[in-house]
Amino acid sequence: MAALDVKPKSKKRKEASRDEEPAPEAPAFSAPVESLEMLSDEEGPDESASDDGQVDEFPEIDAASDSEEDGSFGDEEDEEDSDGTDEEDFEEEDSDDSMDRDIFPKPKTIISDITGHPKRVYPEIEPDYDSDSSTEDTQNRVGNVPMHWYDDLPHVGTSAFDKTAQMDKPLSAEELDIIRRLYANEVPDAGYDPYEPMTEWFTGKGKEEIMPLSAAPEPKRRWVPSKWEKQKVMKIVRAIRQGRILPSKPKTASKLEFYSIWSEPSTSHAPPLPAPKPRLPTNSESYNPPEEYLPSEAERAEWEAMDPEDRERDYLPQKFPSLRLVPAYDRFIKERFNRQLDLYLAPRIQRVKLNIDPSTLIPKLPSPQSLKPFPNYKSLKFTHSGRARCLSISPDGAWVISGDESGIVSLWEVNVGREVKRWKFEGKIGALEWCPRLDVSYFVVGIEEALHFIIPPNLPSPVLALTQSLLAPTTLPPAPETPSPVKWVTPPTSSWSPDTAILTVHLPQSSGLPKQITWHRRGDYMATVSSGGTQGGVWMHQITRRHSQAPFKKIRGAVQLVLFHPLKPHFFVATQQYVRVYNLAEQKLLKTLTPGIKWISSMDVHPSGDHLIVGGYDRKLCWFDLELSDKPYKILRYDFPAFKYPSLPLNAKLLLPSYHTRAIRSLAFHPTYPLFASSSDDGAIQVFHSRVYNDLMTDPLIVPLKILRGHTVKEGLGVLQVKWCARQPWLVSGGADGTVGVWCS
Amino acid sequence: MGRLRQKGKAGAAKAYVTRTSAIKKLQCSLADFRRLCILKGIFPREPRSRKKANKGSSAPTSFYYAKDIAYLAHEPVLKKLREHKAFAKKLSRALGRGEWGDAKNLEDNKPVYRLDHIIKERYPTFIDAVRDIDDALCMVFLFASLPSNARLPASLTENCARLAAEWQLYVMHTRSLRKTFLSIKGIYYQAEIMDQTVTWLVPYQFTQNIPADVDVRVMLTFLELYQTLLGFVFFKLYTDSGLIYPPPLDVKKDEGGAGVGAFSLQSTSRTAPAAPKAKAVEVDGRKISGKDVRQAIKTMTSADTEINSGDVDMQAAESNPMEVDEEFVPQQSTSDPQSASSLTTLKALEALPQSLTTALFSPYTFYLSRETSRSIFEFIVRSFGGRIGWPASSGSGSPFDESDDSITHVIIDRPLVERTDETAEERERRLRRKYVQPQWVVDCINAGKLLLEEPYAQGKTLPPHLSPFGEYEGAYDPTSLGSHVAEESESEDEDVELPEDEEEEQADGQVAEKSALRAAATASDAAALRAAELAAEVAGVDYGTFEKEVRKSRKKSKAPGQVDAEDAEQDMNKMMMSNKQKKLYERMKYSEKKKASERAVLEGKKQLLQKQKKREAKAG
Repeated sequence: MAALDVKPKSKKRKEASRDEEPAPEAPAFSAPVESLEMLSDEEGPDESASDDGQVDEFPEIDAASDSEEDGSFGDEEDEEDSDGTDEEDFEEEDSDDSMDRDIFPKPKTIISDITGHPKRVYPEIEPDYDSDSSTEDTQNRVGNVPMHWYDDLPHVGTSAFDKTAQMDKPLSAEELDIIRRLYANEVPDAGYDPYEPMTEWFTGKGKEEIMPLSAAPEPKRRWVPSKWEKQKVMKIVRAIRQGRILPSKPKTASKLEFYSIWSEPSTSHAPPLPAPKPRLPTNSESYNPPEEYLPSEAERAEWEAMDPEDRERDYLPQKFPSLRLVPAYDRFIKERFNRQLDLYLAPRIQRVKLNIDPSTLIPKLPSPQSLKPFPNYKSLKFTHSGRARCLSISPDGAWVISGDESGIVSLWEVNVGREVKRWKFEGKIGALEWCPRLDVSYFVVGIEEALHFIIPPNLPSPVLALTQSLLAPTTLPPAPETPSPVKWVTPPTSSWSPDTAILTVHLPQSSGLPKQITWHRRGDYMATVSSGGTQGGVWMHQITRRHSQAPFKKIRGAVQLVLFHPLKPHFFVATQQYVRVYNLAEQKLLKTLTPGIKWISSMDVHPSGDHLIVGGYDRKLCWFDLELSDKPYKILRYDFPAFKYPSLPLNAKLLLPSYHTRAIRSLAFHPTYPLFASSSDDGAIQVFHSRVYNDLMTDPLIVPLKILRGHTVKEGLGVLQVKWCARQPWLVSGGADGTVGVWCS
Repeated sequence: MGRLRQKGKAGAAKAYVTRTSAIKKLQCSLADFRRLCILKGIFPREPRSRKKANKGSSAPTSFYYAKDIAYLAHEPVLKKLREHKAFAKKLSRALGRGEWGDAKNLEDNKPVYRLDHIIKERYPTFIDAVRDIDDALCMVFLFASLPSNARLPASLTENCARLAAEWQLYVMHTRSLRKTFLSIKGIYYQAEIMDQTVTWLVPYQFTQNIPADVDVRVMLTFLELYQTLLGFVFFKLYTDSGLIYPPPLDVKKDEGGAGVGAFSLQSTSRTAPAAPKAKAVEVDGRKISGKDVRQAIKTMTSADTEINSGDVDMQAAESNPMEVDEEFVPQQSTSDPQSASSLTTLKALEALPQSLTTALFSPYTFYLSRETSRSIFEFIVRSFGGRIGWPASSGSGSPFDESDDSITHVIIDRPLVERTDETAEERERRLRRKYVQPQWVVDCINAGKLLLEEPYAQGKTLPPHLSPFGEYEGAYDPTSLGSHVAEESESEDEDVELPEDEEEEQADGQVAEKSALRAAATASDAAALRAAELAAEVAGVDYGTFEKEVRKSRKKSKAPGQVDAEDAEQDMNKMMMSNKQKKLYERMKYSEKKKASERAVLEGKKQLLQKQKKREAKAG
């Protein structure tokens, strides 16, 4: 109820001049409606007077059917189609009388104003709910039939569903008649006569119009033939006469006439390259091949198991006793088609066919026989109990010291391999190195956080005295201003013995095992690299001043190795991936070499100082020409030939002899001979000839000479260190199997 | 500072276009683009770097040269294709509206493209065209044998058959067939035309069915081009050798299945007085043959009458009267002044000393048994100067029948059957003729000489048929290997047999003997050898066995040792190769090894087969 009453009010808000206000109902409304009324108050007086008659009708509508309508729905709707509701309001007035009539409206017969004949006029059918008579109580749906006809049926009478009323609505006889007529494509109105005689208004006898409608004279074009049309037609006629237009042209599907197409000179363009011709058939394609071409059962099965794309031949050889038995080739069309696909879909590349002997690709290098001497056999073997991790050869080339992981350092002769003396240290031996000076003789042993300076036995007395005075001077040099964390300790003279160290350098705490000891050429400076500690673990020791210092305050990357330049005051530092060259005198970085190795393991500098070789755990060796570039001049690497032909059917060995197949452990240039050696975890030592020329134009010559095998690989480790004898082309190598071998030429 | 270079403005990015962008530029459908590519011979290219060509994308696409596509844009065929598209729309609209008259008009004025300019573009000189007709011939021969259906109109098949026959006629006429190979795929023919070898493959005469995974549209587009190409090539070839192109077709004969014989080669240089002479020949010649066929044969035989006249009397007698008639006299053509020069060149070519092989069969007359393929052997025999006849079941137009006395060879492919109801005349005829299997004809051609008929006689197991085209260098050669393999296998056979004998004879002294032999095998220096010999003698080994053992062991020990020593140095040097060289070297070595292994496999098989045969022979 409330909703319906709000409707007219909100309408008023918009069209205030037209709407009416049921004055007596207003006080009964709720509060929000009252506030709306405030607006309408101004217009109220003149409107309430205008339409009195309609006010009475509203209660009737309310009582009928609209109580079902939802309140909120009405609220929204009325704003949208307020105009529509207005019209409905008007129509409601007309439909008043139809409300109380029968189900179907009866036609009225009136006299037409125009024709003067009687005609039937139906009342207008209202499409809205008000016109619906289904709500009324006259519910005779059956008609004049006995009711027992419907005993077995769920319904009574004919009915149709009325959507607006949500219930069945019976159709009247008239309506059914209309439906029947519509189905039969007839005029729905039964009373309409489609064949009425024509009424003549302006035609027929006596009704002809004689006078023209317009007084304008008739235009000339009505009777004079068109000039332009004539011109156009004449153009065509002329064309036909001259034969330019053929009246009945011959069909386009005429055959191409062949003529001498190559008689005219051709264009200057170069002809396109002809497509490659298909391969000519071989013996195996014959209908009657020699018997050895026929595939065996295994070959046939293999061929059939393969994908058609992978097959080397698209047919299997067959043998027929006579030509009449040869069947049709079932893949003939398919092969022609594939050829055509090749012709128009496959990219073509012009390749130069290399017609060379593969052996000419191998570089012509001097024969190793002409580059003698170089070590080529193992002359003797010295055995340690643990891994022989480090070794060093005395500067005169007569003695070897070798240290193993159980802490034993042995001194033995190169020539016969007899052990002269043995020292025992606690923990692993990290590094060993003889002092390169010839007037004194001692070596340094690096163990955990300490360096021991040891004088070998049986020295001539002047050498011994000089060595002792060098390592344990009576007057100690003045202590440096800044206290160093490295302590130099000499035991008292009374406790000196050949078994103990004459001088011990205690490296700072937690610096770990010295990995490398390297001497400057003059034998006064010594650099060590420890596995732990600050400043990259690099310490530089000066023997005469008994002083140690860290050359780098901070260094990027973990230092692997350091080296002194043999001639200049340069210092090489190898981190994990780079080699940096520092000038010690000027204290600045000279250059950074990038070998492209993932992890550098070893490095050595050529005695001339111009070349550097760097080896890595990733099986690469880089040769740097220091004057040339920061990039390697030559890289020797192991490559994987087996991966290039994964489906290699041949059991033949295709592997090229390659560089080391495992990580490189050690590299060494010979100090005087043009030789260098590399050792690796694959248990082999490779010896190369490396001739360096003085002129800048000639590239260094590297010739692989010999692969020395003799060490066994133990726990994945092979040859751990190689060193050259200073005056002989002899090589000493220490392996993980605990043996130290001497290789002679 | 140089000018800034923008990406994608130069280099590969500019030189290549992808297929999609090419289609977009040409504004045609993919099918039309494909058709154009086929007709114009444009194919995708492989850029050095796909990424650079595709503006950084590495998606899989095919690339074309931008210039190729720009060149396609001006193609008249493309214009016609566009017109055809519009026409198709108009036609379908007219048909949809039921405007039959309009539709008919449209259909009559359908745009049709011509391909002659494309032929001229793709093959600027005649030699280029001749070099490239291999594929065209294969296709034409294939489609000539295909059954026509909705997609393959009968006219197409007919045209292909006509082109195939024209080609065969020309090859027969000029005697340019060189090699023939009967393979499982079909028959390979190789002819030499204008110093170019033309190889084509003809399927065996069975009905072929187009498989479902073959795009017929592509094949038909190719065929369209090939038909045009062959038409122009044949025109030139025919006119150059003074023949009328196209050769007139005798419809009645064609219906009778005369095949190649239905066409008649007519010389353009034939003058009026020559005609009655030809007739005269006809009168005194054989009566069976029709005029057209005779003409064809005459023109063919005339080409090498000079050669024939010397060696065979029968043929010479026949061909003498024709000599005057059919000799090609260079005459100025009224219509085509160019042809005169070409005629002289042909004349010059023919004046060159022709090898005897082209007239290989000229003294002989062949008759085809009904189970042999007429189309194959008629072509082959006539290309080499032979006369050939066939039974009526193989088609009409045979110049003579089976009872002809001149028949020297019968090509027969039937197993040998003893006939009991043979008349005396038949028997006499049979003994006079030689009955050979078809392979004999082909092997004779490939060998370039007449082979003995005996191994090819009817019912015999044929010798293997080998490819006349040869194989790659160093491939397995089934002919040369025979003796070497036999020798080796013989010695091995003995080896195999020896231990068996020993076992039977002396089972007790076996152990000592073996140890002595082993000592011989390992003995290296002379003294040790002597000692071993003595030991062997003590053990009771005869000297021959001992020697053999020593030789064997030497061979064994020598081979790997020497190789190792030689390789060692080289192997070290290989380490110094650059990466590129290393890869190249490995590839070359790989292919070498592969070839060697292929050869070894075949040789091994041959040895096995020979051993087996020998064993069977011994057993049997």
